[in-house]
Amino acid sequence: MINILKVLFKKEVMDASRDKRSVMAGLYYAIGAPIGICLLMSVLLQQFASPDALKITIENPSNAPGLVAHLASSDIKIADDKNDPLLKPITLSISDDYKQNLSEGRPATVTLIADKSDDKLAKHINRVEKAMAVYSSEIASLRLVSRGIDPNLMRALAIEVNDQATPDSKGGMILGLATFTIILTLFYAAMSLAIDTSAGERERNSLSLLLSHPLSSLHIVLAKVGAITAFSMLGLVIILIVSKVVYPMVAWEQLGFSITITPEFMLFCIAICFPIALMSSSLQVFVSFMAKSFKEAQSYVTMVLFIPMALSMITTYDIATDVVQWLPIAAQQFALMEFIKGNPIPVPQLLLSTLITLVLCALFSFLSARMLKSEKVVFGL
Amino acid sequence: MINVSNLSKKIGDVNALNGLSFSAENGKITGLLGPNGAGKTTCLRTVFGLLKADSGFAEIDGIDVAKQPMQAKQNLGLFPDPCGLYERLTPREYISFFAQLSGLSASQAKEATTQVIDKLSMNDIADRRCQGFSQGQRMKTALAQAVVHNPTNVILDEPTRGLDVMSTRILRELLLLLKAQGHCVLFSSHVMQEVAALCDHVVIMANGQVIAQGSIAQLCEQAGKDTLEEAFIALIGSDEGIAA
Repeated sequence: MINILKVLFKKEVMDASRDKRSVMAGLYYAIGAPIGICLLMSVLLQQFASPDALKITIENPSNAPGLVAHLASSDIKIADDKNDPLLKPITLSISDDYKQNLSEGRPATVTLIADKSDDKLAKHINRVEKAMAVYSSEIASLRLVSRGIDPNLMRALAIEVNDQATPDSKGGMILGLATFTIILTLFYAAMSLAIDTSAGERERNSLSLLLSHPLSSLHIVLAKVGAITAFSMLGLVIILIVSKVVYPMVAWEQLGFSITITPEFMLFCIAICFPIALMSSSLQVFVSFMAKSFKEAQSYVTMVLFIPMALSMITTYDIATDVVQWLPIAAQQFALMEFIKGNPIPVPQLLLSTLITLVLCALFSFLSARMLKSEKVVFGL
Repeated sequence: MINVSNLSKKIGDVNALNGLSFSAENGKITGLLGPNGAGKTTCLRTVFGLLKADSGFAEIDGIDVAKQPMQAKQNLGLFPDPCGLYERLTPREYISFFAQLSGLSASQAKEATTQVIDKLSMNDIADRRCQGFSQGQRMKTALAQAVVHNPTNVILDEPTRGLDVMSTRILRELLLLLKAQGHCVLFSSHVMQEVAALCDHVVIMANGQVIAQGSIAQLCEQAGKDTLEEAFIALIGSDEGIAA
C-alpha cells in the first residue's frame, strides 16, 4: 500500500510541478500578499505621520483672536481662498456676544457647522472639536487660577495608565491581518492544482484509466491530497520568508509597535498549519469531485473558501465568541497571534481544533474515495 | 480469458446492455463489432469494473470483476477510448507509472518500459512530453501502457480510430504477437477491415445485445454473404454507423 501511495504521490507532484501556470498562480498570492499589505500600511503611516494642514471657514474671527490663534497653532487655519483644495466644509461661527461672555466668565458660544454623516469629514471635525476642547480647558484653568483656586480641584481622579503592552503585542489588528494572509495561503496556494488534479483529471479521461487499475480509490485520493498539501506548504514557506523580509521595512514604530517574524514563529507556524493544509487539500479535492466539470469546480471551490476566510476574519477582527475560538482555523490563527505577541498559547483550544482539522481531512478524503466508486462521479453523468 | 454473462446495464433511460453474453479466449483475438451506440464501450467499461452491471457478471480468468475487482484487474491491460494520457508526462514516465500501479517494482517497471518502447519503435518520442502528440503517437503510448506489465488479458477500445497506415500496421503486428504468446485480446471496433484482418472470433452487437458471433467464415455463412461487411449489414439489418 505504501509503495502504491509513493508511486501515485510522485506522479501527482511531477505532473503538478510541470503545470507552471497553476503553480505560479498560487505562489503569486504567497509572494504578493505580504508585499501588498506592507505597501498599503506604508502609505497609511505616511498620512498619520504628517497630518495635512486643515483649512476651515470661521465667521467673525475678530471676536475670538485667542481661539483663532490656538487653532492656528494646531495647523487649523482660516481659508483665504474659497477654492483652496485644503478647505473643508467646516464652519465655526463665533457668536456676537463671544467677547463679552468670555470676559465675564460665562460660556461663550461657538457653533460648529458641518455634515457629521460625511465619513471623509469625520476625522477633520473631530480634530477641530479636540482643539477647541483643549482651548476651553486652558481658559477654564486660567479663570480658576485668577480667582485663587487650584485648577486641580476639577480633577477628582488622577488616572495613571501603566501600559504593560510590549511593542510586539500592540499591533493587534495588523498582526491579525498578517496571520490571516498566512492562513489563507494554505487555501489559495494550491487551489488551481487541486482543481486540476481532480476535476481536470476527470475531464482529461485519465481518471477512469487510473480507476481501472488494481488500486483502491482511497489510494488515489490520499496521493492527491498529499501532493496538494506539499504545494500548500511550499506556499506557506514562501509567504513566511517574504513576510520576514518585508514586514521590518514598514515603520511600525510610528504606531508604537513592531512585527517580528522570528525563525521560531516560522517553525511554529509550519507545525500548526500542516493539519490545516491537509484539511484544505482534502476539502478542495472533495468539492472538485462533486462538481461535474472543471469550470463548475472552480466556482464551487471559490465559494467554499469563504468558510475558512470567515473563520479567519472573525479572529482577525477579534469578534470571536467563546465557541468559535475552539474551531479549526480560528483557534490556530489565534495561537499564531498569541505566539507572535509573546503571550501564552491557548493549548487546549489549539489541540482540539487540530484534532477536528485532522478528522475533517479524514472525512473529506473518505467521502472523495467513496464518490470515486460512483460511475456518475467518474464519468460526470 | 474474459467471460461476459447476461450483462444488463441501463444508463439514464437507455438500455445500454441488454443481456449480453460472450467469451474471449486465450490465444485468440476477439473483436467486438457494432455500429455507433451499440454498447461496445459500455460493455468494456463494465468488464474492467468502471461501470456496475444491473444484472449478469463479467469474469477475468474466472474472477468476478464486481466481487473481487483488485484480483480481477491484476492480469488486465487496458487501452481506453479516449486514451487518458497525462499531457505533462513523457511516454517513458507514463508507461512506467502504470507499470508500477499494475504491480511491477520500480526497477522492473523501468526495464519493462524500455522493452515496450523498443518493441513499439517509439524511442524518438519516449522522452518528449505527450502534449501535442499526433493520434498515432498517442495510440502507441496508450498501447505501451496497456501491455507493459505483460498481462494475460488485453482490452482495447477502438484502438484504430484515427490511425495512419504505419501506425495501424504496428498495432496489428503487436496484437498478432500477443495472440502468438497466448494472450487473450479483446478489442472493439466499427472498422470492418481491421476486424476482418485480425480477428479469430467476432462478436457482432447492436442495441446492447449479441446479434451473432463466430469466426468470420461462420458469420459470412450464417448471413449467406461473401464479405464480413455484407454479412454485418445483413445481420444487424441496417448500415448505420459503419466506417470504411
